[in-house]
Amino acid sequence: MTATQNHEVAGVPDAAPPPARPRSPRTVRDLAWLVLPYVASVLLAFVVGGLVILALGNDPVKAFESVLTTSFKTQFGFVETMHKWVTVVLCAYAFTIPLATGKFNIGAEGQLLMGATGAVAVGILLSDLPMIVLLPLVLVAGILAGAVWAGVSAFLLVRFGVNEILSTVLLNFVSFQAIDYVASHVWPDRGAGHPATIRVGEGALLPRIGDAPNLHAGVILTVLLAVALAIFMRSTATGFEMRAVGANLRASLVHGVRTSRLAGAGLVIGGALGGLAGAIEVAGVHGKMLEGMQSNFLILGIIVGLMARGNLVAVPFVAFGIAVLEVGASSMQRSAQVPVEVVLIIEAMILIFLLLSDVVRARFRGASA
Amino acid sequence: MNAVTDFFALLIPAMVPFVLAAQGTVLSGRAGLFNVSQEGLMVLGASVGFLVSWQVGSNTVGLLAALAIGGLFGLVFAYTTTMLRLDQFVIGLALYFAALGLASLLYRAVVGVTLEPPLIPTLKDYPIPLLSDVPLLGRALFSHDLVVYLTFLLSFVIWWFMYRTSAGMRFRAVGENPKSADSVGIPVLRTRMWAGVVGAALMTVAGAYLPMVYTGTFTEGMVAGRGWLVIALAFLGGWRPHLVVAGAAFFAGMEVLALQAQVTGVGIPHQFVLMLPYVGTLVVMIFAFRWARQPAFLGLNYDRESRLSG
Repeated sequence: MTATQNHEVAGVPDAAPPPARPRSPRTVRDLAWLVLPYVASVLLAFVVGGLVILALGNDPVKAFESVLTTSFKTQFGFVETMHKWVTVVLCAYAFTIPLATGKFNIGAEGQLLMGATGAVAVGILLSDLPMIVLLPLVLVAGILAGAVWAGVSAFLLVRFGVNEILSTVLLNFVSFQAIDYVASHVWPDRGAGHPATIRVGEGALLPRIGDAPNLHAGVILTVLLAVALAIFMRSTATGFEMRAVGANLRASLVHGVRTSRLAGAGLVIGGALGGLAGAIEVAGVHGKMLEGMQSNFLILGIIVGLMARGNLVAVPFVAFGIAVLEVGASSMQRSAQVPVEVVLIIEAMILIFLLLSDVVRARFRGASA
Repeated sequence: MNAVTDFFALLIPAMVPFVLAAQGTVLSGRAGLFNVSQEGLMVLGASVGFLVSWQVGSNTVGLLAALAIGGLFGLVFAYTTTMLRLDQFVIGLALYFAALGLASLLYRAVVGVTLEPPLIPTLKDYPIPLLSDVPLLGRALFSHDLVVYLTFLLSFVIWWFMYRTSAGMRFRAVGENPKSADSVGIPVLRTRMWAGVVGAALMTVAGAYLPMVYTGTFTEGMVAGRGWLVIALAFLGGWRPHLVVAGAAFFAGMEVLALQAQVTGVGIPHQFVLMLPYVGTLVVMIFAFRWARQPAFLGLNYDRESRLSG
């Protein structure tokens, strides 16, 4: 059922000579080949975006200035960027980890929402517990809920061979209805004017770092997680197997790797991280669950995962760039009246140009060889 | 009018977006192109179709505009995957994002922020003489707008092309074994280019039909996952045009049932009723692996010079 089963890790065409997958850079030349496509793609995408803004009758320079500087000008902008970064990174992992085994998880949205639901349930039901007990419970509930939600897809994949792309996407739509039910029937906040649950207990909220428009501790948690995941994928046997399955399914099968079970595990771990993203949104940003809280984290997660070309180490860095663009986009809409969607188009363009750079690189190498 | 007549009267138009987009998917897929930008293309089609109809004052022009922009996206998809051999799934996702962004952007640029959204007239019904007078089902089956008739006619044409013409057999060969197809002189890349362009154009038209038959206006959430259901539909129908129509009846039927249950109220919260199409699809997918077959080269790019492919 899987159309893309034998594929290399995303972004690299099957038969294109030579393998253009970025390795760890060894020489300056390698590093240049690694960085140059990114720079060129971003620049080109901004040129296209600038033309779109011009066509809309606005000033591209002014618009881009606010896109690129908002995150660094005020503390508020920076905090917002970091909060966005947390969710984007986790959703990108939710996509990238299954991708390492060649599976596409398009369900980070649903996993985030179910994680949020799990977190909110614990945060409301046990709201009197002290923070030292409640907060870990809230986060674990989010992780478990996300893992279970992705687990449905993993089970359907391993047991029945149901295409994971479809099952994860379809579960997203189920989750929209599920959270609507929770927010309007189970713990509704009637005064919110928008489907939302009541607030979780004080002990369920993430502690703050620093003062005023304060950063939540989920940022530290995510940094630690990023380091742990990088080590896991690089230096454990399971991590190696996962990468091997993604890189060459047949070779892995021949060498006795339990590919389908690993693929299932990848999906569940991805779902757990998506669930954690939801729990952190609840515990760190909103203090409750509300409809629309997933905004477009699914899309951003996938974009980041694809831009990082499945490289877990690159994910946090790419995600930071995307978070800057996203926070800048809403400021651009306020200050320059340029719709936020321009940035989505720019992001899609960066991705397409990045893919095209493989072709260009292959031609260059072919010419010099 | 009774309940059955009502049901069929709603079912047939509800099938149209599914059938059109799924035939587009099947057409691309049979040539080996696995396009996953349905959801985005349908939203884009809805946006462009609506905006052009509103500005020009003609739904036909709106549908044609949607067709054109879909063809353009299809051209990008087909060119990057066949000529440049980039990953089909990744390009499909990138185009999905781009189409989604473009759809909202165009709406904002043309309409702006308004309290009352502009409306276009929904499509007019053209009852087929004689047939629509058949008691009970006549009116339900044969009194619809022209797009409905065209959709079913098109499905028949696609089926006839694929299974009853030699050109269709060569077309299918491209998706099953491009190397063999190439060796007997079938232009693999050109076939794929056409399939990609026409397929994507059908997807956008499927989206454009939505505002024209239901609401008369464009909202961002109006496609509501139909694009993803369409991919499931192509798999369920085994990438065969006639089975896809039958599958579309199932999908549209669940949609209509969910809507009717929501209106009449069946004692369970409406959220669970609205989950029905998605959960139902998952359940059917579990059984579908027994019969579902897919083109052997679906989603795989063809490289004439490579010894690995084909």
